Formats: sequence, C-alpha cells, structure tokens
Amino acid sequence: MKLRLWLLTAVVTGGASAATPALPPASFAASFVQTRELPGFSTPLVSHGNMSYDHAKGFHWEITQPYHYVFEMNGTRAHEELPDGTRRDLDPDQTPWLAAVEHIFISALSGDRHELESYFSVESKPAGSGDQLTLSPKAGAIANAIKRIEVTESAPGRPQHLEIFEVSGGHMDIRFSPVSP
Amino acid sequence: MSPSLSRKARWTLWLLSLGLLCGAAATRLDLHRIVDTDVLAMLPPEHAAPAIAAATQQTRDAFVNEVLMLVSGDDVPATRAAAQAAADAAAAAGLKADDSSQSLDHLLAAYQKHRYALLDEAAAARLRAGGAKTLATDVAVSLGSPAGMVHAFGSDPGGYLAAYLSALPRPYPDFVPDGAFFSALKDGKRWYLVRSEVPAAAFAEGSHQAAHAVQAAGAAAARACPACRFAATGAPLFADAAQKAAQSESLWLSLASTLLIMLLIAHVFRSFAPHMLAGAQLVASVLAATAAVILLFGSIQVITLVFGTTLLGIAIDYAFLYFSEYWFGEAAPERVMAAVRPGLYMGLATGIVAFAFLLLAGFPALAQFAVFSVAGLAEAGLMVVLIFPVSLTQPPQVPVHAAVLWPQRFIQAAARPSRWRLLLPLAALLLCIPGWFLLHTSDDVRGLQNLPTDMLKTDADIRSTLGQVPPPGFFLAESDGLQAALRQEETLFSHIRDDAPQLASLGLSRFLPSDARQRESLAAWQQVFSDPAALRRAFTQFGLPAALADRDLAEWQAADHALLTDAELFAAAPQFKTFRVFDGDKTALLSTVAGSKDIASATLAGYAATVPGVSFVDPLARIAATFERIRIRATWLVIGGYLLISALLVWRYGRREALRMLYPPLLALGLTLGVLGWLGEPVNLFVVVALILILGLGRDYAVFLREGGAARRSPALAVSLSALTMLFSFGLLAMSSIPALHVFGIATLVGILASYLSAPLSLPPTGEKA
Repeated sequence: MKLRLWLLTAVVTGGASAATPALPPASFAASFVQTRELPGFSTPLVSHGNMSYDHAKGFHWEITQPYHYVFEMNGTRAHEELPDGTRRDLDPDQTPWLAAVEHIFISALSGDRHELESYFSVESKPAGSGDQLTLSPKAGAIANAIKRIEVTESAPGRPQHLEIFEVSGGHMDIRFSPVSP
Repeated sequence: MSPSLSRKARWTLWLLSLGLLCGAAATRLDLHRIVDTDVLAMLPPEHAAPAIAAATQQTRDAFVNEVLMLVSGDDVPATRAAAQAAADAAAAAGLKADDSSQSLDHLLAAYQKHRYALLDEAAAARLRAGGAKTLATDVAVSLGSPAGMVHAFGSDPGGYLAAYLSALPRPYPDFVPDGAFFSALKDGKRWYLVRSEVPAAAFAEGSHQAAHAVQAAGAAAARACPACRFAATGAPLFADAAQKAAQSESLWLSLASTLLIMLLIAHVFRSFAPHMLAGAQLVASVLAATAAVILLFGSIQVITLVFGTTLLGIAIDYAFLYFSEYWFGEAAPERVMAAVRPGLYMGLATGIVAFAFLLLAGFPALAQFAVFSVAGLAEAGLMVVLIFPVSLTQPPQVPVHAAVLWPQRFIQAAARPSRWRLLLPLAALLLCIPGWFLLHTSDDVRGLQNLPTDMLKTDADIRSTLGQVPPPGFFLAESDGLQAALRQEETLFSHIRDDAPQLASLGLSRFLPSDARQRESLAAWQQVFSDPAALRRAFTQFGLPAALADRDLAEWQAADHALLTDAELFAAAPQFKTFRVFDGDKTALLSTVAGSKDIASATLAGYAATVPGVSFVDPLARIAATFERIRIRATWLVIGGYLLISALLVWRYGRREALRMLYPPLLALGLTLGVLGWLGEPVNLFVVVALILILGLGRDYAVFLREGGAARRSPALAVSLSALTMLFSFGLLAMSSIPALHVFGIATLVGILASYLSAPLSLPPTGEKA
C-alpha cells in the first residue's frame, strides 16, 4: 500500500540519521523514470514524469509518459487528474490511507524517521556522499505486499535511486534526476 | 392475636409461616439468577423488545469488558518494548488480549476470493458508465500514483479491492494496525494501543481483576521504558474505583450508624434484648419480603432489594412502640400488646395500604417494591404480635431516667395550645415555597455516580488521542431476513454519508455488502469484460500493454463469481457475529456511527427515522426514561395511596382528626422538597423513595401519638427513638460522596427531622377534646 510515497519518504530521509535528523529540504524537484516489472510480463512498464516538494505548494507528482496523470497534495487537500481527463479531489480525512501517507510524507520531510520505523525496520549505511537505506516491513499487511525497499541517495536528502521488491515477484525501480524547482 | 396461645404455639406459627413462604419461594428459585441486575427488565414487557434487549446486552458486554492501555514515548523501539511488556503483564494477570489481528489474514483471503463482488455503489456505477476505459484509467492510476496500491493484495486490477479494504471502518481513526498493536505518531511521540478485555463473567470480579492487571501492566511498561508514559481506561476500571469508594464509604457510614443506634438503644433500655429482637425482626422482614418477591416474580431486582430494605426501616417503629411500652409504659408485661395494639394495627394497616397501592403501577419494579414492602411489614408486625409478648415476659428492672422523659416533655410542650403551633410551621413553609420553584428532576443514571476526576480526565485524553468518541447509542435494523436488514443498513449509512461525511459508520454491511449490491458489482465487472477487444483498445490508449488487459480478463474468467456470504465472513472473522441480533423469526443488525466529537442522540434518531425498520436506541436515555416513568408513576400512586389512607383515618378518627394527623407528614414532605430546591439537589427516583419513607414514618408517628396520647410516656419515646435511629441510619448518608446516596441522605435527614418535630401537631392542643 502507498508504496511509492513511502519510498519517497525513505528517499528524503535517507541522509538523516535517527539521532541527528537533518533539516528538511525547503524544496526539492526531480524528474524520474519509473520501471515496473510485473510478474508474468517480460516487458517492463516504463513511465516518465517529474515530482516536486515545496513547503508552501506541497507535493506534486506528475506522469507525462505514456499517459498523463497528476497527483497533488497540500496540507489536508489532495487532488488528482486522471488519464481520461477526469479531475477529482480527495479528502485525506475520508481516505484513511491518504491521510496516513500525507502524515508519513510530511514527517519524513521533517527528517523524522519515526513514522517509517513503525512500519519498517530501517538499516542505513553510507553510500558515496549520501546513505543507502534498506527498509524491511514489520509484520502486518505491508509485509504481505513488500519484501524490502532499497533507497540510495546522491547527497543527504537527495534521492537518486529507489527499488521496491514485492512479495508477488514484482519489482519497481525509480531513478531521480534533480532539477531546479 | 389470642393471648391464650402458648409460647410454643406462637413460635411454631411464626416459624411455620416464614418457613412455608421461604419454602414456596425456593421452588421457584433459579440459583443462577436470584438477584436480577438488569435495570431494563424494570420496563413493562410490551416495551422491552427482545431485539433491543439483546442488542443492548451485546453493546453493554463489548463496552463494560473493554480495557484500553496507551503507551507513549519518544524512543520507538523502547516504547514498543514497553507496550509489549504491558500487554504481557496484562495477559499474565488474566486479561484477554485482543485477537482481532488473528482474523485479519482470514478476512483478507475471503475478500480476495470475492473481490469482484465488493465494489461500492459509486465504484460500480462508475465502472458501469465508463466500461473498459474506466478500468484502463484506474489501472494506469494505480500504476502511476504515488499513493497507488499496486499488487498489495495480489491480483487487483485498478486497486479496487485495496480501495475497498482501505475504506473499511477502523476502530481508532488515528491509529493503524501495527503487529499486535495499533500505533500512531502524534505530537512527536509514538503511541501504542494495547487492547484487552475482562474475561470474567461476573462484572464485579472482572473489574477488580482489570484494575489489578492494569496496575501490573503499568509497572511492567515502566520497567521496560522508564521514560515512557502509560495510561489506561475502560469501564471495568471505573467500576472498580466506584466499588472501592462505595465500599470504604459504606463501611464507615454503616459502622457509625450502627454504633450510634446501639449506643442509643443501650442508653435508653439498658438491656441487650432490644438489640436481639429488633435485629431478628429486620432479618425476618427482609427474608419474608425477598421470598414473597421471588415467589411471585421468580427473581428479585437488585433495585427492589436496596430500596425495599430501606423502606423496611419503617418496621423498626413497631418494635420501638412495643419496647417503649414494655420498658417504660404503664402496662404490665402481659398487657403490653393490648396497649400498643391499636397503634400497631393502624400503623400496619396504613403502611400496607400505602405500599399495596404501588401494585397498580404496571411496572414490574414498582410491583416488586409493593410486594416486598407489604410482605416485609406484615412479617415485622407478625413478629411483634407473636414473638415479642413471649420474649419479654418479666417486668423490666430499668428505672425511668432523663433520656426517657425528654421525649414526653417535648411532645407535651408542643401539644400545649399556642400560636406557635401555627406560626412556626407556617413560617417554615413560607421559606420553602421558593425552593419548590427551584426544584428540578433528573433521571440520568450518570448523575448518580461519583467518578474520580483524574480517571475521567485520563479517559477523555485517551479517547481524544484515539480520535474516538463513543456514540450515545446504536442503530437497530430489523427485518424478516439478513439481506433486507443489510439493505436497510446500507440505505441508512448512505443517508448519513450524504448528510455528515465526517461520521464513520460501523455495521455488518460495511464488511458484508448485501447480495443486491454484490450482484450490481459483479454486473459492472461483467460489462467491463464483455468486450475483450474494447478492453485491449482502452489499455493501449494509455500506453499500457494489451497483454495486461488479457491477463485481467483471464483472471476475471477464472475467478469465483459467487457472492460473499455471512457464513464465510463469520468463519473468517467470528467477532462480526456481534453485529447480528436474533429476534425470534426476524433478524436485526446492530450498527453505530462515531465521530471526533459528541453526536446528539436526536441527530442519530433523525437518521434512523429516514429508513423504515431502522430505529436508534440510546441505552442511557432508555434507562433514564424508565426511571422517570417509575418516578412519576410512583409519585401518583403514593398520592393515591394517601387518599386511601385518609379514608381509613377518617373512618377511625373522624374527618377533623384525620386531617390533623395527615398534616405533619404532608408538612414534612413540603419542607423536604423546599430544602432540596434551595440546595439545588435534583428530584430523582432515590428522592421519591425517600419521600415515601418520610410519609410512612410521619404517618406512623401521627398514629402512635394519636393512639397513645400526649399524656403517656411510651408513644413519645417510641416516636423519638424511631426518628433518631432513622436519622442515624439514613441521615448520615447526606455525608456520602456518591450523589445518589447524598441526595437520599439529605431528603431523609430533612424529612425525618421535619416529621418528628411536626409530629405533635397531629395531636389536638392539650385541653381540646379530640
């Protein structure tokens, strides 16, 4: 559930040690390439897009290829533009998982690993100028879906590469290329 | 009673009558249910619908057994360890751990099997309207959204099953399942919720066990993480605290009153015999009264036992009347009975008539009061008539002393012609009149309890942290079958969602869609997969591989299209059975809604009114309504009973004297109500019982004095002793911290004092011919 947001959470908290949390980035923007391997499919699904986070504007996630999709969240409001052109508002209060995602995400940008640690066992080791995090789900529903998550950053608070290994055999790989916000 | 009866014959007659009554009651006795604690059983049968009673019991069981423990701290692993230690300690101390997480996997498996039948109304309508394109859109979104739920539950194209599961009701909105616990991050702290329940069937034992377990859990949590905070709440903890407070208070109040009464009797009579005889009379009265109630009703209400025993306090008047005449009266021992007989019989007759009138109430509780009191008074009178004369046969050797003389002096002084006989009561009455207008009634049982402030604050803090405010009641959807009841509940929840989307509904239909809704869901999917070519086109339009559409189609074709049944759901999650209430041939479903704030009962009742067959039940309001009806009915019946007594008094003493004798108890009644009004104390069922007691005592005082006259020593002494012992017994309750006992104590304190002080007004002024 909420896999990618957790991943992003992991990414942006990667450079923050539990003892001395780093200050959250005031803003962050990147383009990404997402490669998804589904069990039983030899050809992976590849999508392109960009994402950004800004304290004032909130979180923006946009897929540009092969279809257009936008997800935005700011405070208690969330909004989607679907590939068929439909626009819809989501209320985090009425969508428990979305509220949780928002909470996790904001906490993570604040350099707070507690939220992640309630769902995952978090291991961190230095990798280049950043850290590499391995998140292993604790017992519960998440463990039914995810084997582990690996996050590598180029610098503290700068996600570079993220992988999800699913229980179903699926695999997801997202590579970020920072851009100016 | 014939004076020629021998001692043996009297004892035989008395024991035989009591034994026969008890023996007959024993044949109807259910050893597992001698005392009935279900307050709702006091309702007349036509109002106590079995479904409501069963649903109330189910919600009560869920509430009264639950214990919630919250462990919080900054250090996540340490806090989790503390929560685990608390859970282990609570389990070791006998609390049953919440095992709902055990059924989660079974539940997920059941939902996965029937995933195509689980679209909600809006999703089914959307899929029906958009067909293949909608599915392709949703698949693309689930693959691309950062909040997507791809493959979280195996094959779930478009994330529909995940959406259904995510929308399932959560017991604590701000907490998520976290292994054996629920957890949340709030205010910079990690919180773990440990849920457990009391397994003991007996509530009193269970509450003690819960308090002990929570204490052990708190200590274990502190050992595991000294910096963590531990807090707990739950009905068993409140019950334990209330029980302890009541026990310690009743202990010192009982000791104080018993000691004072024994000292008084010892001081006046200088003998042990009155203690023995009065004690035996009280025990025999309660025994006979209980037996009579069991004989007629099968069991006895706990409230009847408490109130009835209180009312039987009147019976001690008969003993004091006899003792006073025997020890300090003018009659020889063998003539004592003859001397007190008119007062005793008149007091008995009026008392029995007053209580028997309650039989007309139509409420089981009041009928039980009546039977209890009538049987108790009759037994008390029988014992005085049969046993006292053969127990007190030797002339007493106690000289008349000051304590014996002052009551007579007081009565004689108060009976002298004086304008104060008119002015003093009038002034008191005038002072009380404003108090009457300040009177208010209250039948809310919560107001009868004295819950510790710190526990209430902890409870409020925990509920606030959990984001859970308990609803004031529950909905009951009653129908001929489960499917119809599910549809009623779905309609109800739909209305609530439209009107107040912030409210979270909880009921079986949230976990088991009705067959009709499941068929709609399957039909929507059928439409999507009916044209494979269109499905492929829709997928490729968004850049998704056509093979993904083929796989989804293959999965649909291979899937089980059967509907999810209640049997499957209950097998996976047995705890959901509590939503279902069997009501004879009918089925009723129990459901609730909760929000982050209190919800008015009227609002919820309004929602229920929009769906035929659905009702909203507010258990506390029902209990309050029961008490209110009993209070009002009892008040009217007491008035009716008094009119009947008036007729008796008119027959015996003539109209003028009868009015004079009714004046003091009615004056005491008026003064009591006035004082209660001035003090801002509510009039509730306890106060009405106190008023019945006051009227009964006042009536006895008037009869005893009228029969004995102001010139005789013994009636004045009997009345004074009765008033003092009643003040010691019940007046001390005014010092209780338990609101129900406190107000009862104030009412009896004022009422008995007023009854006693005004008792001489029942006598004609000295010199006036009665």
